[in-house]
Amino acid sequence: MASALSVVDILSVLYTGSANISKNNSLNVDRDIVILSKGHAASALYSVLALQDFFPKDWLRSYCKNGSFLGGHVTFGSVPGVELSTGSLGHGLPYGLGIAMSRKRSGIKGRVFVVLSDGECNEGTTWESAMLANHHHLDNLVVIIDRNRIQSLSTTESTLKLEPLIDKWEAFGWDTVSISGHDYKEISKSLENQNKPKCLIANTTKGKGVSFMENSVLWHYKSPNEPEIKLALQQLNESYK
Amino acid sequence: MRDAFINTLLMEAKKNPNLTLITGDLGFGVLDKYSEDLPKQFINSGINEQTMMSMAAGFASTGKRVFVYSIGNFPTLRCLEQIRNDVCLMNNPVVVVSVGAGYSYGNQGYTHHALEDIAVMRALPNLEVIVPADPLETVSITKYLATTNKPTYLRIGKSNELDIHTNKFEFRYGKIFELFPGNNGTFIFSGTVGHVVMEAQKLLQENGFNVAVASMPFVSNIDEEYLKSAAIRGPIIVIEEHAYRGGVGSAILEKINKLTLNVRVALVASDQNNLSEIGDQKFLRERNGISSENIISKFMALLVN
Repeated sequence: MASALSVVDILSVLYTGSANISKNNSLNVDRDIVILSKGHAASALYSVLALQDFFPKDWLRSYCKNGSFLGGHVTFGSVPGVELSTGSLGHGLPYGLGIAMSRKRSGIKGRVFVVLSDGECNEGTTWESAMLANHHHLDNLVVIIDRNRIQSLSTTESTLKLEPLIDKWEAFGWDTVSISGHDYKEISKSLENQNKPKCLIANTTKGKGVSFMENSVLWHYKSPNEPEIKLALQQLNESYK
Repeated sequence: MRDAFINTLLMEAKKNPNLTLITGDLGFGVLDKYSEDLPKQFINSGINEQTMMSMAAGFASTGKRVFVYSIGNFPTLRCLEQIRNDVCLMNNPVVVVSVGAGYSYGNQGYTHHALEDIAVMRALPNLEVIVPADPLETVSITKYLATTNKPTYLRIGKSNELDIHTNKFEFRYGKIFELFPGNNGTFIFSGTVGHVVMEAQKLLQENGFNVAVASMPFVSNIDEEYLKSAAIRGPIIVIEEHAYRGGVGSAILEKINKLTLNVRVALVASDQNNLSEIGDQKFLRERNGISSENIISKFMALLVN
């Protein structure tokens, strides 16, 4: 649950204007493509897609239930707006890279946005893709890293040190900026122009907006019960007023 | 065989600008003409099979037919989950091509032997597994794959393989191709072991046994009609250059089980006796039980028992 709250602002910005993707153009060959590579934050993506009318909002009530299309990890096939099944880390970026490369070769417009978790920067495919994107001058590829500093068992820095993360992406040839991943204006402004592969390190808080989930490793796994949902919604409503 | 593949692919790619070849930095002296003639339909990804496979899937998702070329286990086992999730589950039109089937890279050592690939690729959903017997089958199958869209694993030999078919070979998708008729039993093989099988057939014929010989390139989509007719005439021996576990023999046993056919079957495959032993393809085949003697003794055992 906490993984979804750290990334939901980023997804909201992408789906409300920064990326050229909507219910109406979702099958166009030159649409912008958003890939949520951190597939464990499926509930955030599904919520945003429902609010943008990609599918009926009442589908959300079926989340993770028998016979539903909406699983705990992003699943392609029956959910409008989903571009790729994810959940095994390290797949979204090379897949998005392939789309960006094909488009560039064919002169098709439309950018590819891949949202990574910071833990995903442990994966070799992340860095292999970073090399390839630079080598092939993919100015239509954007990576946004949900830098919430917590991965599966502990903090990112105590598990496998990522810092200095900006320097690493810079060294791989990417136009890299560090921003707040909860500031809508800052996110959308950072996405405006690019002339080479772009990487936003979006500093976020895991479990953002819910006091008992914030920066908690436990809430990487946990789903809230009824009283916890009530309290969480109360706090979220307060913080978004 | 790899030349038959690449020459055919080049011809097809010239007709179809959506066809793209991606290599994992392999194919020295093999892919040169293709890459020179069609640079816009060619990518050398570098040495990064996992990224290459996901990238190929993403590339193919834009409506292109992508062939991924590498050798041995590199485009299969090394990037298995990328094939499973990004190619198969997404049903993207990627053809995974591996050169160096079985012991083709014999004296290069076990890291370069492809002996478990069929078992693993066959386990994946939505993936067609095709194992041509010779350059003639390779040409027809490559043409077929260039103009269709199914995710596919194409397992080919290396170089200098002789044709097992005659020029009269007529390709039909999904069929088992009979090379030689017979009424005492059937030898079904996949891949470049056909000449070993023909040797066994010849020796048996000299001793009064007429055994049919057939090539089965379509391993995951087995020709049921042929199998039914083979089951009637006698024992079936399946020969392949692959480990026993999960290969072509297992595929046939599963199909026989599904069709509830009453037939005696034996498998001739690699025993994998010694994973460290070095030798050329012919040597390693024999050392690991892929020999005409073994085919004959298994056939005789099933015939008399």
